Order: sequence, then structure tokens, then C-alpha cells
Amino acid sequence: MTVTTSSETHPALSDQDWGFSTIDRPPSAINPPPSRMFYVYLAAPAIALLAVITIYPFLWLIYMSFHKVGFGSSSDIFVGFENFSRLFTDTKYIEGWGLLLKYSAICLSIQVVVGVALAVVLNNSRYEKILVTLFLMPMMVSPIVAGLLFFYLYNGTFGWYHWIFQSLGFLGETSILGSTKTALYGIIIVDVWQWTPLITLITLAGLKRVPQDQLEANMVDGAGSISNFFNVSLPNIYPFLLIAILLRFMDNFRFIDAILALTGGGPANSTRLLPVYLFDVSFQFFKLGRGGAIALTLLIVTIILGLILVRVLEDPTRKKALSGDPDN
Amino acid sequence: MASREIISYDKGVAVKILKWVSPVFLAFYLVWALLPLFIMLMASIKDLLDAFSVPEPGDWAGITMFFDFSPTFTHYIALFTENNFGTYLFNSLVASIGSAIIAVTLGSMCAYSLSRSEFRFKKDLLFWIISTRMAPIVAVIVPLYAIFRSVDLVGTLPGLILAFTTFNLPFAIWMLKGFFDGIPYAIEEAAQVDGQNRFQAFLTILPLAAPGIGAFVILCILFAWNDFLFSTIIGSGGAKTLPAATKELVQPQNIDWGKIMAAGVITTAPMIPLGLLVRRYLVAGLTMGAVKE
Repeated sequence: MTVTTSSETHPALSDQDWGFSTIDRPPSAINPPPSRMFYVYLAAPAIALLAVITIYPFLWLIYMSFHKVGFGSSSDIFVGFENFSRLFTDTKYIEGWGLLLKYSAICLSIQVVVGVALAVVLNNSRYEKILVTLFLMPMMVSPIVAGLLFFYLYNGTFGWYHWIFQSLGFLGETSILGSTKTALYGIIIVDVWQWTPLITLITLAGLKRVPQDQLEANMVDGAGSISNFFNVSLPNIYPFLLIAILLRFMDNFRFIDAILALTGGGPANSTRLLPVYLFDVSFQFFKLGRGGAIALTLLIVTIILGLILVRVLEDPTRKKALSGDPDN
Repeated sequence: MASREIISYDKGVAVKILKWVSPVFLAFYLVWALLPLFIMLMASIKDLLDAFSVPEPGDWAGITMFFDFSPTFTHYIALFTENNFGTYLFNSLVASIGSAIIAVTLGSMCAYSLSRSEFRFKKDLLFWIISTRMAPIVAVIVPLYAIFRSVDLVGTLPGLILAFTTFNLPFAIWMLKGFFDGIPYAIEEAAQVDGQNRFQAFLTILPLAAPGIGAFVILCILFAWNDFLFSTIIGSGGAKTLPAATKELVQPQNIDWGKIMAAGVITTAPMIPLGLLVRRYLVAGLTMGAVKE
């Protein structure tokens, strides 16, 4: 290597990876081992910060979940798997999962149907830009503010939404949040209000990439736009929808702000989704051991969902569909 | 456009019905999307008596009562004179902008490094980074609180900035990596040929990523500004931001709805223009870069 010998004298050659012979090779080939330290230094601060805020809490959760945590000076008692085995008989825990799944299923089906319908109607319409802009405003609202706002709208004596529900004959005197039968729908409405536009935006991005030649080929076969939608557009936007659904599903694990503002889990546990229950166990009852066990199970499910999401993203055929050139 | 021609092929009844139904559907959705925000705005400038007057159920004509009031700004004034909202607004600004700047600065260095290097467990490292953002905050907030407590950061603005950085940093790294992947390595090579060292070469390509960096700073501000759990728990004491302060206005007795709605407007108003400003990056930002517009 003549380049390395001359690098001591010439400033431009101070880095070993310089040289014409390497110019056409990918970055991995350009970087010989010594120069890699540069990348390590650049990444170190961020990685170190992330390590502190992830590894310690994770170990802490594992420790807590195997202990009965005492208050003050009393020490923690090792209890083995007791915190976990108790979860199987904890009806609120099991119901929490059930409610989380039910809530997510209803929210997502409404959001997908309405969101996709909106996208199809908006796509290439004259008012697409302005309407999309107006529709996505609820997404900018802080979830806790959205919760408080709907808490006001649902109020049994002066809420305008309550008045509308009553006038349409959906509800009696009791507010939508006041009855165990309807409270879950009360919180679903808020999620649908905030996040349907996200599905619309994602679907619109997908619709712009539906290949025109496929649509035209289908039309030559005598198909109309309804057939076009189900036979050509829908299969093409499927990867987009899959990502949207996974992301929204995971967000239901993460965001409980609106639920805390609206019901706090009541009435009679009818909206105590698992994350809300975890919040109560940790912050109302201060059962850190049991909280740790619940948190770990929640984390593990999230990580599995995350792995599925990454698998979907990395899938080469889908990747092509997702990042494809919109002009094709 | 080809899509216009497609419509002309349709002669079915179903398509005709759809053409009539779609404007109605859009109009209905528009009302549904904006009505809550409009009611919030109106309730914030009504005095309590007006805000609490609703017609009898079924009395559709009574809807005019909604507009029958004389506007007042007492709730806004009271928030700032009685409830310290000046401080909370300041906290919100400092904490969200601070965490956005730290997240994007550290994030761009890390993202650049991950984009340009190749090593064995890179995929796993990337997944670990993204999983720190996906983790439910409720699940990790107790141990995080313990860490923050032990270094005396609970209730301080630096503590809150750090807390917000925990979810903004993985976001920034992930998004910016995608951005740097799209910038050819040849540009840095050229810079190095010109005699710059590698860090200077990294700085030369930063302007190329500027639109992305700017958009992600704004998205980070938006996420941090709207956060509630960290703000209530890590910020409790001396560093509450607007969402936490708004929630605290809800007292068991005597809920002052006028103030709460005014606080809601103060919290929401700056975020809508910011969100629309980065409209182009919104979908990418909210789908972790999976979908681009």
C-alpha cells in the first residue's frame, strides 16, 4: 500500500481509507478497522445515554418482579416467581389484557374502515390538500387534552356530545362514561377521533404508489373503479395498512393519557386496560413487585410486536412496495 | 391524469351512488374532526353560565344557545395570574426545545455513524434503539423515576429534558439514519480529498440533511410538548409542563371548565401550525420512517 506510507507527509492522506482503489466500493469496504473508532466516538454519547435509560430499568424490573418490596428501611424479600404466578389468578390482570385487545380491535377496525374510505374519496380529488390538512388537526392535540376535552363533551348535564347522543336517542340520562356498558365506547371514540387521520395519511401514501398500468390493465378487462379498488388498490396498499395497524396497536400499549383523563379505569373496571391497571398498581397501590411483573409481561409482548413490525419492514417485497417511486 | 379517465368508464349504479355519497361523507367527517376543537375554543371564551347551558334533549332548534354568549378572556387571564401558567408555558418551551436539540444533535452523530459503518450486530443494535422508543412508558417509568431521584433530577427542568430525550433520541437516530442513508458517501470523500478530516466531512454533509434535521427537531418538540406521564411524574414539584398543569386543574370538587378549556387551547394552539409546517415529514415521522410521502 503506497497510500499509507505517504499519508504521514500529506494532510489529505491522513486518513487511511482514502485512495482511488476504494472509491467504487461500499462504505464498509472503505473503512479499514483502525478508522472505525471515529464512528464509535460519534455514536458513543447517544448509545451510552440510551444504555443507561434502558438497561438499568430493565434489570430493575427483573429484580422487583422477584421480590416483595418493603417500604422505608425494611428490606425486599425474595419471593421467586410468586409475583408472576399470582398474575394467573389476578382477574383484573386477565381482564386488563382482554380489554386492551377488545379496545384495540374495535378502535382499529373503525379506524381502518373509515380511514381507508376517506383516503379513497380524497385521493386525487380537487380538495385533497386542504381537507387532509383540516382532518389531521386532531392528531396534534396532546392526548391528555383530548381526554379532558371529551370529558367535558360527554358531561351528563352540560356536555354537547351528551346532548347530541341523547337527542339521537342513543343514551338516557347517564353519561356515556357513567355506565359499564358504554364507557369503553366513550374512550374508543376519542382514539378514533385522534388517530383515524393517520390511517388516512398512510393509505393516501399507499394509493399514490398503486401502479397505473395495473389499474389500466384491470379496466381493459371491463372492470370499474369499485372492482379496481378491491382487486388492484387494496392488495397494493396492504403493506401500508399492516404497518399502520401494528403501530397503532403498539401505541395502545403506550398511551393511556386520554383514558386516565376520561375514566381512570372505571366505572367498575370497565375501562381498566392493562396499561391503566399497571399504572394503578404502581402509583395507587405502590405494589412495586407486582407492578414489575406486569410491566415485564407488557414489555415482552411489545418487543414481540416490535420484532413483527421490523420483520414486515425488512421484507424485501414489501420494502419495495413501501418505498417505491410514486410516479410508476 | 389517468384517474380522471377511469371514472368515465364507470356506468354502474353503485358508482353513481358513491359519487353522491362521498361529498356528504367528507362534510360529515369534517364536522366530526373539527367540532370538538371548535367547542373547546368557544368554551374557553364563555363565562361558566354560558358554557353550562345546553338545550333540552331533542330540542334541535336550541342549538342556537351555543352561540348565544358574550366572549370573555377571564379564563386566560386567570390561568396566568392565579394558576402560574406563565411558568408552565416556560417549562414546556424549555423542556421540549431543549430535549429536541439534544436528541437531534446526539442523534445525528449516532445516525451518521450507523449509516456509514457496517458491523456484525448492527441490526440488533438498531432494533434495540427502536425498541427503547416503542416500550410502554408506564412499564419503565417507576425505575426511571428511581434513577432520576437518585441523581436529584426529579422536579427540575434538566431532569425533564433528559426524560423527554429518552423517547426523542431513539426517534431522532432512527429517522436521521434513514436520511443519511440517502446521501451519497462520495460527498464526504470529496471533502476529505479537499483536506478536511472526517469530522469536518461529517459537518459538510449536515446542510444536505438540513430539511430533515429541521423537521425532526419540530417533531421532537411536538412529542415532548404533548407528553403527559413524564411531565407529571418526573416533572412533579418544580418542572410541570402544560399538559400536566392542565390535568391538575381537574379537582374533585368544583371543576373550572372554562379554565381547563382555555388551558387546552394554550396547549394545542402552538402545535397545530408546527405540525402543519412539517406536514411533508409527518407520515414518515409517525410511522418511524416506514412510509414516506
